[in-house]
Amino acid sequence: MTLDQLLIFVALGAYVAGSIALITYFLSRSSVMRTAGIVLAVTGCVAQFAELGVRWATTGVWPLTNLYGSLSLFAAMGVLIFLAFAWKYQVWFMGGFVLLIAAIALGYATTWNEGYMPAVPSLQSYWIKVHVPLVISSYAAFMVAFVAAGLYLLKYFFERYLGRSQGVATAMTTAGPVTMPVGGYDADMAVSDVRVVGLRDDTPMISAAASRGDSWALWLQTLPSLSKLDIMAYRIVAIGLPLLTIGIITGALWAKDAWGAYWQWDPKETAALVSWIVYASYMHLHTRNNWRGYRCALVNVFGFATIVFCYLGVNIWISGLHSYKM
Amino acid sequence: MVATFEERARSSYDEFVRLFSNVLFAVSLFAVWGLLTLIGVIVDQGKDPSVYAGAYPAPIARAILRLGLDNIYHSPAYIGIIGLILVSLAACTFKRVIPARLPALRKVKIDAIPLSASIEVRGEESAVRARVAEFFASRGWQVRKREFSGEEWLFADRHNWARRGVLIAHLGFVIIAMGTTIYWWKGFSGTTAVITGQTITVPQTGARITLDHFGYRFEPIKTKTGLVYQPVDYVSNVTVVGRDGVPRNETIRVNQPIDIDGTLYYQASYGYAVTFAVSKAGMVIPMEPLKEGQGFQAGGRTFQYQRFVPTVDTATGQPGLNPIPSNPAVALAAFDGDQPLGAVLLPIGKNLDVGNGFKIAALRYKLYSGLQYRYDPGMLLVGIGAFVLLAGLCIAFYFLPARLFVQITGAARTWRVGLAATTVKGYDIFEEQFADLVAELKASESGPNRNAFPVRSESPA
Ligand code: HEM
Repeated sequence: MTLDQLLIFVALGAYVAGSIALITYFLSRSSVMRTAGIVLAVTGCVAQFAELGVRWATTGVWPLTNLYGSLSLFAAMGVLIFLAFAWKYQVWFMGGFVLLIAAIALGYATTWNEGYMPAVPSLQSYWIKVHVPLVISSYAAFMVAFVAAGLYLLKYFFERYLGRSQGVATAMTTAGPVTMPVGGYDADMAVSDVRVVGLRDDTPMISAAASRGDSWALWLQTLPSLSKLDIMAYRIVAIGLPLLTIGIITGALWAKDAWGAYWQWDPKETAALVSWIVYASYMHLHTRNNWRGYRCALVNVFGFATIVFCYLGVNIWISGLHSYKM
Repeated sequence: MVATFEERARSSYDEFVRLFSNVLFAVSLFAVWGLLTLIGVIVDQGKDPSVYAGAYPAPIARAILRLGLDNIYHSPAYIGIIGLILVSLAACTFKRVIPARLPALRKVKIDAIPLSASIEVRGEESAVRARVAEFFASRGWQVRKREFSGEEWLFADRHNWARRGVLIAHLGFVIIAMGTTIYWWKGFSGTTAVITGQTITVPQTGARITLDHFGYRFEPIKTKTGLVYQPVDYVSNVTVVGRDGVPRNETIRVNQPIDIDGTLYYQASYGYAVTFAVSKAGMVIPMEPLKEGQGFQAGGRTFQYQRFVPTVDTATGQPGLNPIPSNPAVALAAFDGDQPLGAVLLPIGKNLDVGNGFKIAALRYKLYSGLQYRYDPGMLLVGIGAFVLLAGLCIAFYFLPARLFVQITGAARTWRVGLAATTVKGYDIFEEQFADLVAELKASESGPNRNAFPVRSESPA
């Protein structure tokens, strides 16, 4: 086994095990699982960057010139963005799903692993070192935002289900004054530390069910409120959208060098524009009170679907200038 | 009462502005824009009608051609939707974004604001007020005091300038649109192919380009799926003559275009120009070299040069993988009118008997270089617009304008500091920072030297 293969193996193993640990933490709030998951996530991420570095050093070819390299970076950046975000906002519970997607992406990437390949002429440009990491990082950020939106929807539907099955009023209510001690904010523990009156916080519905001893409700209570999950997704999109914007701009600058026009309506760049339009719409909708939350979460999920299409669909099924003929 | 023409015009104008400045309307336009763009990704653009007939069932192919989906990005619908977005953007900018200034300083009902807190503080009233004001000022908040019927209020604002982020992002989009319009108006682009040794004149610019030499490099690589010849370099050595009439030697490579009088020339493709000869009874009819796709007549039939095959595998007689000519041939298709008759591999230098006493031969081949050229006077503007847009996005996303309302009430040495916060993006987004601020204020007020300045150093570690 070469060093390169060993590192891929370590990363993949760490992501699978980390995903199991953090999903267990998501369900059980076991702090041991949290610690194990974080260690595994960091290990996998470090192994992946090391693998890309080793590949670059041994072949002398920038590793992001094929689908293996780019999918690999997608997985690594997704985990890195998650780690940074979770570290800042204490949202480790999201990690299991991020690591699961990273494991799938990396596993799939290995099927495209061609080994050493010199870059075709159009890829021999310094722009590849700027443009590709930016675009891939934006995709990775949208992946993490997708997980946040997915958790939003999970909680949203679960709450409605609980509301219905337990006869709790389904109306979104004003939460009423809840004064909690002022202390550190920890989204993982869903501790709200200031008095929040009248926010569209739907925890009362769960609280009512929890007070009746419903175990699912007790578990749901450990997640942040819907409005917090919504804000988290928004914050990650707010990282992804500028990254995608710079990615498209640097792509245009590169295209100007390589093909003579900054915009050629090539399927790949155009697909990125479609995703850009969806996320720009998301940002606009998020400024509206009645769109924040549920509807924005749906737009977010749809946005990630366009990313998957743009990234894999176009690469694999639709040929164009980005299939790097010249 | 009957409305006058002026009144009706005014009310339709108001109606128009209301609709076009509505964010949801803008997002609907975005949705249509996204959909049209997506259609262009899925449906191949700018191909011959026969391609669509071959790729789709007949009714869909007809619909694609009739609706102009084969050239969607230049269709009136596409340009129209971008036009509508710009109108909407303008309406919104003047109706909402520019007028959205810092709201007036006025007192509020602290408890009625969803994001609020209250803490108890002890000390002299004036010292408490000064400490609280200093607490926010030292953290970068712009603090102002106002008195309303004898009641003193403190207002602290942060990132007020960032309210202009939306305006900047929108301005960036408008600048990009202006840049692309300038290209449509004044720019041009085209492609040309120059055969080795030949000189061409670019119609729009009059520049003359001679191809002295075209070179390529391939690297044979063993992959899991077999041997692959990976292209590594394409180079055109050219002599160019621009407006100044002075010949210059230049090298064009992929990613390294050249500039002749403001027009850029790029390496776009390459191929083999083949000189065919048609002969009958020893009489040879000379011909110009042909490029792939071009054709000629012989013996009442049409022959089309389909593609160059650099290497014919001697064992199988089929095209081989090696892209460097070693046993070259041309793939030639024959037609009787529109009717295809079949195709053959005709080795270079060999004759092919095509009936009626006619023979055809592919005599020799020469490399040609496919160049793309483009003059785009809007490029700089598009670039500037892109960076303005990006700056606007970053300002709008990362700097949250917020206002704190602070009311201090009480008597003697016990005071209640009531705090409420509002932001341009609702309350939830500010909750954590607000909680931190409240916690810090509380900590600083319960510290040992709470009457001293500056506030930061008072906080217990
Ligand atoms: C179609 C016309 C458009 C209209 C009518 C429109 C309208 C608006 C409005 C009213 C807001 C502020 C909402 C609020 O704070 O309440 C806004 C925010 C924003 N717009 Fe637009 N917009 C348009 C197009 C665009 C385009 C093309 C871009 C990008 C290039 C853009 C980028 C932004 C950004 C970044 C924000 C800030 C969002 C945030 O802070 O979360 N807008 N837009």
